[in-house]
Amino acid sequence: MFSNLRRTKLLFDLLTAAILIAVTLFAIFPLVWTFLTSLKVEADIVTSTMQYIPERVTFDNYVALWQRSGFPQLVTNSLIVTTLTMTICMSIGSLAAYSLSRFRFFFRDQMLLLYLVVRMFPAVLMIIPLFIILRNLGMLDSRFGLALAYTTFLMPICVWMMKGFFDAIPVDLEEAARIDGCTRLGALNRIVLPLVRSGLVATSVFIGIASWNEFLFALMLTTSQGSRTWPVGLQLMVGEFQLPWGTLSAGGIISIVPIIIFFSIVQRSLIRGITAGAIKG
Amino acid sequence: MRKNSRISSGLSRRQFLKGLGVSGAGLMLAQAGLMRLAAQAGSINYWHHFTSESEFLGLEAIMAQFKERYPDIDLIQENIPNADFMARFTAGVLADTRANVSMVTTERLADMVAMEGLVPITDRVNSWELREYFPDNRWTGITVDGEIYGVPAFSFVDWMYYRKDWFEEAGITPPTTLDEFRAACVALTDPAQGRYGFGMRAGGGGQAFIADMIEAFGSPLVVDGEVAIDRALAIEAMDFWSGLYKDGLVPPSAPGDSYRQIMEGFKTGQTGMVWHHTGSLAEIQAAMTPDQFGTATKPTGPADTLTRTSFLYNGLMKDENADAAWAWVSFWGENDPAITFLEATGYFPASTAVADDARIAENPIYAPAIVSAAQGKLPPQFIGFAGWSQEIALPAFQRILTGESTVEQAVDEMISGLADAL
Amino acid sequence: MTSSDVLEAPTGRADPAFPLFSLLGRLSESRGWAYFLIIPSLILIMVVVIYPVISGILMSFQELRLTRPGSNGYIGFEHYIDLVSDRIFLRALQNTVVWVIGGVTSQFLLGLITALALNRGIFGSRLARIVVLLPWILPTVAAGHMWALMLDPRLGVINDILVRLGFLDSYRAWFADPSTAMPAVLVVALWQGFPFFTLMLLAGMQGIPDDLYEAASVDGANPLQEFIHITLPLLRPIIVSTVVLRVIGLVNAPDLLIILTNGGPGDATQMLSLYAFNKAYASFDFGYAGAISVVMFIILMVFTIVYVRALRATQE
Repeated sequence: MFSNLRRTKLLFDLLTAAILIAVTLFAIFPLVWTFLTSLKVEADIVTSTMQYIPERVTFDNYVALWQRSGFPQLVTNSLIVTTLTMTICMSIGSLAAYSLSRFRFFFRDQMLLLYLVVRMFPAVLMIIPLFIILRNLGMLDSRFGLALAYTTFLMPICVWMMKGFFDAIPVDLEEAARIDGCTRLGALNRIVLPLVRSGLVATSVFIGIASWNEFLFALMLTTSQGSRTWPVGLQLMVGEFQLPWGTLSAGGIISIVPIIIFFSIVQRSLIRGITAGAIKG
Repeated sequence: MRKNSRISSGLSRRQFLKGLGVSGAGLMLAQAGLMRLAAQAGSINYWHHFTSESEFLGLEAIMAQFKERYPDIDLIQENIPNADFMARFTAGVLADTRANVSMVTTERLADMVAMEGLVPITDRVNSWELREYFPDNRWTGITVDGEIYGVPAFSFVDWMYYRKDWFEEAGITPPTTLDEFRAACVALTDPAQGRYGFGMRAGGGGQAFIADMIEAFGSPLVVDGEVAIDRALAIEAMDFWSGLYKDGLVPPSAPGDSYRQIMEGFKTGQTGMVWHHTGSLAEIQAAMTPDQFGTATKPTGPADTLTRTSFLYNGLMKDENADAAWAWVSFWGENDPAITFLEATGYFPASTAVADDARIAENPIYAPAIVSAAQGKLPPQFIGFAGWSQEIALPAFQRILTGESTVEQAVDEMISGLADAL
Repeated sequence: MTSSDVLEAPTGRADPAFPLFSLLGRLSESRGWAYFLIIPSLILIMVVVIYPVISGILMSFQELRLTRPGSNGYIGFEHYIDLVSDRIFLRALQNTVVWVIGGVTSQFLLGLITALALNRGIFGSRLARIVVLLPWILPTVAAGHMWALMLDPRLGVINDILVRLGFLDSYRAWFADPSTAMPAVLVVALWQGFPFFTLMLLAGMQGIPDDLYEAASVDGANPLQEFIHITLPLLRPIIVSTVVLRVIGLVNAPDLLIILTNGGPGDATQMLSLYAFNKAYASFDFGYAGAISVVMFIILMVFTIVYVRALRATQE
């Protein structure tokens, strides 16, 4: 009986390892290829003989990228827009999600759907009215305006995801705390937040990535170098009569780096902040 | 401090203009420029779809020259990817956040004017001292109902690239008619070596060839705002064009091949001929040796040429600050900027004064372009052309290639789709 | 004292140093608390959403061709009547259904399997967890073009590998053949999309208390039984949210398709989102594009309501 259980566990561990290896390969291969491509000279990319390992390794693509595309400015803009979006979305959105998860009130279900309306209505038709709204608010071609636009599109995701995470936490825990004399706010802070920690991190990662990568609205709502974001800069490298594979893949690789650094910082401080609260309280 | 710098720049500007009087046109312009300078100040926005590195270097060089001439004009360039250009333009017009100057192409002109996105500049053009260097066909492509909406900046002349070495090997010369073209495709195609005669563009952008073919076989598309496609001729045209694919003379990837793919096919030795225009010369030159490729005029169809010459224009989107905007728009027509741009990009100038320049006239690689430029037609100009060719004509043609419809069905779709678009 | 300490004040008792917090604490006991939490987000949504949605709906009842300023005006349901007989629309609708079902199913399954595997915490999972998220971080512009390069009929490394392994005789043009174009696009979407499910489902799994599993394993449950009786039921709310959001995302986001196929070859990958985009910005027919958008909106709304209801019904 006991050895049988152990055999099952070993079997599942092996299966797990096999799955992880396969999925990791699937996930990483295109990125490895992007990286290899970024080290090649153009003639070794557009060639009839496939080169797996670049024969002539060059960093020219990275240099060209740095010199040409106003990269630092674009990435700074992207980081600012992403941070603003994440902050507004997560603070306002999680509160609403908590309320929608814990309280029963009139039109609650309809309200949940209302949040989704924003995302259900095709962006194609939202662009021009949104353009006009931002113009009237004087926020066209500004980083804050773009963050505001993103917030409206990402807030529903935040609300829906966070509601899911809140729903997953048993209500009894909170009620127990309230019997001990906590206010609702205190219970939210001490009991619920620590439990949805991974949900909060996951949702903010989602929102961060979504706003970091967004293209269409960034293109339409900004024009000047001072507020344009990195994906627009990346798209602009794809010329009408030129598709510089080397530079584009270098751009792809570079665009992964800041977001990994950014999230490793955010994620750590987010977890630390919340766990600290839980322990002390 | 600010005042001082303005005075000193004014001085250098005068000195600069004095030194400029070399060519007749230049002198004339210098004088005219001096007279107008007072009115030209302020800030103007310029929307364009230059994106590639060489185009961007060319634009920056022209902007630097412009700044030297008009130091009081602040020119702000804003680049928009070509694929999204009309979306951005539309939003700008609808929300009334227009730029001062926008790039305009002939294919888009009708749509842009119809949505009231451009301001006519007929009077300015007619009193422009450099107008004589731009023959009438330059203006036809930017005229709607007798009003001129822009100034030609440069041009793209259709031509063909071919593999010199393959042609020598097969003992043939560049084809001049479509029959010869097909024969050349047959001669060059060798599946065993992975070689195909021609790189057909039937993916994105391939719509242009459909309109070209139908016209080259003798059928107009639209006459007086009515559908004028001759069904029999259009079927003949599409039969010929899709026949190249069905007979295996072009790569099997053709239905998905866009500009990038046909050029990569040519560069990697998969295809022996590709059709494009002078805009891609720099790219081909960078990738291939002079022994490998040559340029030639495109073959002519049974009834009409397949060659088009299109001009890229700059036009005004609003009246505000129009003098400064006109200064920028007309600046592109001058010799120096045009040559600067040619050197950076290889893009053909629109002005005849520049086209006679030794750097172009004496370069053998450009010879076919000079011939083509003389006989090239302008792209179709009717409202709805872009939408029809992209949404109806191209998918219909692709379905012939993939075997989902017959030539007749596809042509019928094109005709009824055109009626809806008009 | 830092602001986080403020938030940690355990009770709502009046604390003169932090009147705001005690006020909030008292407010949290009142009946308005639920609304108080929602209102900021609602205001933001209302300000930005109401006008675009209403204008979009109104557009669909108008002839609104920007290039025909003279002929514009209200025409009632004419666009909707036209849609019924529009061959491209019907094809796009059909493709969208395939795209959404194929996309959600494949991404959900791979995401779930990956999350389950990662949650077992075997050696190396920490690294795998980061790697698995990377596809999602790459901007669509770069991801789309890089996949186009890898699947390219001339330069494609995937073609080369498949030829070397003997699965193919020669390089395939995946996006040029109507029978392979859709599967190829779905693979790219799977690559880009499964990390979303992995991230969210994994986060959900980590919220499940360990003692539930411990109790189950004492009872002799194997991992499969644990999955069916503990993990899946507790993940249900997160599964609902992720699936709804992904369905909406797949219906409405044409960016990957624009780069890879632009709807071709023929209409093989034509989708409602692409069709609406082209109607608006290539033909400038905003009325018709509006009608397509409203139809998409209604389909999504009906789907969401039915799906959420159905899941709730099975739950109870």
